[in-house]
Amino acid sequence: MLVGAFACAHTPQLLARPGTEDRDLVLRVHAAFARVKRRLEALRADAIAIVAGDHVEAFFLDAVPALAVYVGAECAGTFGQYRYRFPIHEPLARSIVEQGVERGFDLCYTQSAPLDYAFYVPLYFTMPEPSLPIVPLHVNVYLPPQPTPRRCYEWGGALGAILQGRSERVVLMASGGMSHFPGTDRYASPEFEYDRRLLDTLRAGRGRELAAVTGEELDKMGNIELRTWAVVLGAVGDAKADVYCYEPSWHHGNAVVEWAL
Amino acid sequence: MSAGEPLHYRFPPASAYRLNRCLFALKSDDGFRARFLKDAGAAIREIGLAAADAAALVQGDRDTLLARGAHPYLVFMADLRLRMEREPVTFEYF
Repeated sequence: MLVGAFACAHTPQLLARPGTEDRDLVLRVHAAFARVKRRLEALRADAIAIVAGDHVEAFFLDAVPALAVYVGAECAGTFGQYRYRFPIHEPLARSIVEQGVERGFDLCYTQSAPLDYAFYVPLYFTMPEPSLPIVPLHVNVYLPPQPTPRRCYEWGGALGAILQGRSERVVLMASGGMSHFPGTDRYASPEFEYDRRLLDTLRAGRGRELAAVTGEELDKMGNIELRTWAVVLGAVGDAKADVYCYEPSWHHGNAVVEWAL
Repeated sequence: MSAGEPLHYRFPPASAYRLNRCLFALKSDDGFRARFLKDAGAAIREIGLAAADAAALVQGDRDTLLARGAHPYLVFMADLRLRMEREPVTFEYF
């Protein structure tokens, strides 16, 4: 069953802070992550299904899956000096890919792709003790054409139904967002007001409105990664968001959110 | 977005495949990055880049790289990884 739903920023500066990143801001986001960790412990979860967008690390142009599921015994990756490895909840992962295909989603699966830092950063800060196995769920956000927000929302709907039918207690976590523009002229001027309006929409339980947003709008607003949030929103329906924090840095809107189920 | 305004993250054209392959290697392949830092010309020959791509890459000419179809995120991270090796940045690791 689905017992919890969250969204977490994965800004790498939260993990390795250069001098250009405000330390107090970073610590405030860490405090929000610590709340998520405590919630995961209170929810007595058996597994974390984490939805993130690969940063052209696992999937280069050899093959660009719109939606992918990591299915295997474990997954691993590196980011700078960090080396990480997580056990995968294999029965759950396999069930998600099999039932997802049955429900009409032509999912890619992998037993070997490296795990991007987009998965690692939130897990580093929120993994409960004792630690849990994970199921990494990839959404293509950086290599156009990406899946539409509506398709992501629909996938989330199917994913939520699959999780509800399982005996394990599963937490669903989106990794990514909010507004940022890496590699472009907009890097130092994200769309923070867009973020704030969207958070108000989510607080009001109107998450389905994200499904109606176009991919072009997400690109314009520096929010291509909100496709991962759309997946979670598809699973939680009209649940209201509890915004743990929204911390805009000079280049990135950092949010941590829980949806009350 | 006004009509005709390009996306920030555009489809990577096939003409830029080798360029994006090279940027990907600079971002994610420690061995290739080390070879590039030692002898950029030799590393670029491994990939077989066009002369104009190679020149823009060596000069760090972001605008030309993007105009030639390089993916902005790859340009960003490849440049960051190279700068971190050339001028080690001090990080606070959590």
